[in-house]
Amino acid sequence: MKKSIKALIFPVVVMVALLLLFVLKLKQDAKYEATYTDVFDTVTSITVYDKNQKEFHKKEEKLHNMLLKYHKEYDIYHSYKGLNNIKTINDNAGIQPVKVDSEIIELLKYGKKLYKETKGQTNIAFGSVLKVWHKYRTEGIDYPEAARVPSMKELKEMAKYCDIEDVIIDEKASTVYLKKKGMSLDVGSIGKGYAVEKLGQYAKKLGIERALISVGGNVLAIGEKPDQSLWKIGIQNPDLDNEESFIKYVSVKDNCVVTSGDYQRYYTVKGKNYCHIVDPDTLMPSETIHSVTVITKKSGYADALSTGLFNMSYEEGKALVETLPGVEAMWILKNNKIGYSSGFEQYISQ
Amino acid sequence: MEQKGKLKNDLILVTVLLLVAVITFFAMKVYQKQTTNHAMVVVSVDGKEWGRYPLNKNCKKVISLSDGQYNELTIKDGYADMTDATCPDKICVHHKKISKNGETLVCLPHKVVVEIESEEESNVDGSTN
Repeated sequence: MKKSIKALIFPVVVMVALLLLFVLKLKQDAKYEATYTDVFDTVTSITVYDKNQKEFHKKEEKLHNMLLKYHKEYDIYHSYKGLNNIKTINDNAGIQPVKVDSEIIELLKYGKKLYKETKGQTNIAFGSVLKVWHKYRTEGIDYPEAARVPSMKELKEMAKYCDIEDVIIDEKASTVYLKKKGMSLDVGSIGKGYAVEKLGQYAKKLGIERALISVGGNVLAIGEKPDQSLWKIGIQNPDLDNEESFIKYVSVKDNCVVTSGDYQRYYTVKGKNYCHIVDPDTLMPSETIHSVTVITKKSGYADALSTGLFNMSYEEGKALVETLPGVEAMWILKNNKIGYSSGFEQYISQ
Repeated sequence: MEQKGKLKNDLILVTVLLLVAVITFFAMKVYQKQTTNHAMVVVSVDGKEWGRYPLNKNCKKVISLSDGQYNELTIKDGYADMTDATCPDKICVHHKKISKNGETLVCLPHKVVVEIESEEESNVDGSTN
């Protein structure tokens, strides 16, 4: 009798252990996803590991609302009833200061700071020139046969209105004033990244510990995945027709990955592509770079840097990145060569 | 005698366990294969699911929107492709056809997203462009 009990102990222990494992596995958070097409004129996806669909939905709705708020505030093309946004500031250039939400003040202050850090390559006061390109690009897409490149005379004329020192921020009064008529803010280079940064902070407040947020390729990884593995991010192949969508993969946790590329928004004139990122020095789109990917902790910083680096030569950009702590970058050049900053390759996975 | 009996029993136990392991392994393989074959093309408009179609069945779907706007989705030979659309930029039409889990076709002006969904382990969690 005693013997048979003894013989039973081992199998019973194994069975109980297996059952426990199974229950634990069931209790583990599952993966939930939401996709939006109504913010920042791009695709946003939020992936969260959460207890159940209901919990996820509650949080996801709050995050979506926050994004919608930023979308309206940073909009330069549309007005919204009862809201002073960046367009309102632009419409009042040379006329009067505009009272705005503290979020806008914060973003613009950040923009000014980044102007210095990128040696003027990321300029939120560059709107007047970007507007010219935007007009020609839109026309060129609508009527490809009639597509034209703006004249240097026109661009230089508008470049007179891009002095960041003429963006007057009064924090006490919570107002912004553009000194000269003709000036125009364009926060396209930092707005999305900044919003993602804020979104990440909010997500953590909501109790989200494992998530991947992507607003048009501004990717933020919160924590790691439940199995302790890293988030694997594909970096877009500049050749959009290639069977391989991604040219490299990076694996990250608690980090941001942002890419600025010439293949997303562009138009073609006489067989040559002109993209939406314009160099403040030459007033023309970069000739040498397909894309720059930046990895760093802060999303707003990553967004601004990727634009700034896109406007520099590879050599100049690489030299800058090497001086910045906690920043790594990868360049895909027009000749399809790939360059890395000294610490980038540690993130690359197969 | 008793020793020998024990050894025999152990052998049986080990064999049975091994057999179970091998069978489970192959059963899972087969199951996985079956589910990958069931890849679906999921169409959503403004965040809401509009329809889902098997990737392995050729078909043509016109996603009709308000004001006579539409996107035409063609599923052929295991690929989903946007073959026509009334949107201004036609970025969705110019996009290459998709077939792998997680790949998307997006028409921002119409808020149309076409995504491949399958049980196949996705190679990436996200992407940057």
